[in-house]
Amino acid sequence: MIGYYISLAMRSLRGTPILSALMIAAIAVGVGASMTVLTVNYMTSKNPLEHKDSVLYAVQLDSWDPNESYNRGGRGNQIPWQLTYQDATALLRSEIPARQVAMHRFGFTVTTDDSQVRPFVANARVTTRDFFGLFDVPFKHGGTWEKSADETPTLSVVLSSATNAKIFGEKNSVGEVIQLNGEPFTVVGVIEDWNPSPKVHDLNNGAFNDSEEIYIPFGLHRKFEIHSWGNNNGWNSGGNEGVTGYEAHLQSESVWIQYWVELDSAAQKRDYEEFITNYIRQQKEQGRFQRPLKFALTQPSEWLVLNEVLDQDSRVLAWCALAFLLVCVVNAVALLLAKFLRKAPEAGVRRALGAGRGSIFTQHLIESGCIGLLGGLAGIVLTLVGLAGIRVLTDDGFDRVAQMDWAMVFAAIALAVFASLLAGLYPAWRISRTNPSVYLKTQ
Amino acid sequence: MFEIKPMLSALWRNKISALLIAVQIALTLAIVSNSVTIIQERQQKIDRPTGIDVENLIGITFMPVPTEYDMAGAVVADLDLLRSMPGVIDASVTNQLPLSGSGSASGYFLEPNQEIGDLTANYYHTDPHFINTLGMKLVAGRNFREDEMKILGAHDNQISDVAIVTQQFADSAFPEESALGKYLYSGRDDHPTKIIGIVDRHLGAWPSWNLAGNVVFNPMLITGNHKRYLVRTEPGQRDAVFKQLEDKLAERDPQRVIHVETTEENKRQSYSGDNLMIKMLSVVVGLLTFIVALGIVGLTTFWINQRTKQIGIRRALGASRSNISRYFLVENSIIAVTGLTLGGTAALIINEAIANNFSQPPLSLSLLIGCAIVLLVVSLTAALVPALRAANISPATATRSV
Repeated sequence: MIGYYISLAMRSLRGTPILSALMIAAIAVGVGASMTVLTVNYMTSKNPLEHKDSVLYAVQLDSWDPNESYNRGGRGNQIPWQLTYQDATALLRSEIPARQVAMHRFGFTVTTDDSQVRPFVANARVTTRDFFGLFDVPFKHGGTWEKSADETPTLSVVLSSATNAKIFGEKNSVGEVIQLNGEPFTVVGVIEDWNPSPKVHDLNNGAFNDSEEIYIPFGLHRKFEIHSWGNNNGWNSGGNEGVTGYEAHLQSESVWIQYWVELDSAAQKRDYEEFITNYIRQQKEQGRFQRPLKFALTQPSEWLVLNEVLDQDSRVLAWCALAFLLVCVVNAVALLLAKFLRKAPEAGVRRALGAGRGSIFTQHLIESGCIGLLGGLAGIVLTLVGLAGIRVLTDDGFDRVAQMDWAMVFAAIALAVFASLLAGLYPAWRISRTNPSVYLKTQ
Repeated sequence: MFEIKPMLSALWRNKISALLIAVQIALTLAIVSNSVTIIQERQQKIDRPTGIDVENLIGITFMPVPTEYDMAGAVVADLDLLRSMPGVIDASVTNQLPLSGSGSASGYFLEPNQEIGDLTANYYHTDPHFINTLGMKLVAGRNFREDEMKILGAHDNQISDVAIVTQQFADSAFPEESALGKYLYSGRDDHPTKIIGIVDRHLGAWPSWNLAGNVVFNPMLITGNHKRYLVRTEPGQRDAVFKQLEDKLAERDPQRVIHVETTEENKRQSYSGDNLMIKMLSVVVGLLTFIVALGIVGLTTFWINQRTKQIGIRRALGASRSNISRYFLVENSIIAVTGLTLGGTAALIINEAIANNFSQPPLSLSLLIGCAIVLLVVSLTAALVPALRAANISPATATRSV
């Protein structure tokens, strides 16, 4: 019976080509506009660390100004996003977490012995060795550096696969030497292509920026006087007596280090919370941490929400797109009603020949569904056009966001069919109420 | 003469269809008026004067390769080179590039040794050429002198003796009196920084910051591991100068990596989010109006088809063509005005919600009325074609198949 209804529906669509085209166009435009916005929002809200969401935590400590809480642009939980250098190095001494990472962004000039490669500035992540294990970064060659490199200056470097290709071609460069800021660094590893989007592990410099090009051990701060190439906030410009220059920066209350831990069990998490509580208490005794004792361990999924990666503009656009779809549905209701009522005599005859109200209703609902399916297919094309438009209008990092995956393709069709079935409900019900006798008389 | 009463009873018989059109128009007005409000606000933001000669500015960032590097010497030599290039008006050293989205801010106090109550401003470390380089106007006081330049290390206490501020910052710090000759302090510090000059306007590094326009300029050179220059060219010379910059600087000293960008490009990138919002909302507004117009065409056509016989009878009974067209246009207006009234209310409610939850601008009544008038015109235009066709229905139709 369904097959017959579908063939009836197709015949009926061909019978009123203009009205049908109008309806399909309306559904397609509605689906195209809403799916363009929803796809961007869906990709923006993705959590690249979903598989480790239950064990990873971003660490925040409230070491901020006793006079006012940390508040930058009204986002977040009133605790600094990042840690001070002194707190980060103190936390690193804990042996509770399975893995832990202290890190930030920096930049080095890169020169090689090969005169073919022009010197360039590489975005660098200065980090402890657990970075790759904690964030599940796969290695192509070699591996991470020795543990000692996080405490004592060791000139080791891990390259991204693109940087490796840029300097060494397709060669395995482990053991080779490159010059960073004029000093010889030995390549210990090359990672696979790895570019999580949004960049959940460091949202300070734009959530859709590319991953860094090189990775450098955490033990090199003093040697290169490394500071952050990212967000750096301070409140106490006075500093410690008698300490000057770079050392003063390391001992200051400036926050610039991102800190993540991997805690495998609830017991481990409890232990770690206790450890942090004790650490803050002990710091309070030394005159630091004068605000009420406060810290936060936040899972990646919540971290993305807290950082408002999906910004307010995107939310407004999402509502706007859904309202648009609603207009298209109302439009389709009106047009379907017109179309069905025009065919009322046909339905009257079918009723007279013994079709039940249910069959008439189903038949017309299926016709609406067919319109939805066609509208959905056209809507996918419009969505692709819309996303291409967004890629043109935005900068590089957003390219990865304005992409449709299969889930979104199916969502588009489902949305279109759902919208048109919804639109068809009333018109189909109305036509199924047709009184057959009226039409039999006039025939 | 408008046959309102029979029209209303005819509408009542088609109440569901009429209501559907009215609801569409209502939703459209609600969405369009709110979208246009947001579009207007963003456009005004982008169009704000920057206070600088955006079109003719170029920013240069360089990073020396060796760790031991005579930064102060390099800056002097580079600036001499840049200022001597043909087509260049002036050049300055700077810690940040205007409108680039990347820069530094600090809290300023009006009394020494304060802890709370600071005013935040974006700050520059630059040199006496900066007013001319940026193309700004000094409205009070004087420019920096060469002997006021401080050369400091990246981690030294970077407090200047003198500063030039924007009028906006001067007004917010000293609303009652002139800021000229007054002092600024860092938190928990008693070193005074004297305000010696005021420039009319400069948006600073982050145009989307809520305090954009609060800018403090210090005569200072920080010998960090990278340095920036700003170059202003003569009108029309920017692209020609841009092409030579990297080579010229590399020729003077090849031991470094140089990046060149135009301020115009920086500005474009800083506003790209606002631009995207404007474009997307404009597309929504356009498509929505189009969809509603299509719906009106479709439904009016359907009604006219349904009533072909009645129209024929009316024509046979003496109604003129214009009577018939007018009937459908007035009918459409009744529906549209009903929808617009509903929609106006909805628009104000929605605006209240998005203004509260998503920090968007309030909707003005004049804009709402403007949008309503445009939609009324669109609705009448959409109804016009079928209404004119209806007028062509021959009176003879009345005699057929009765």
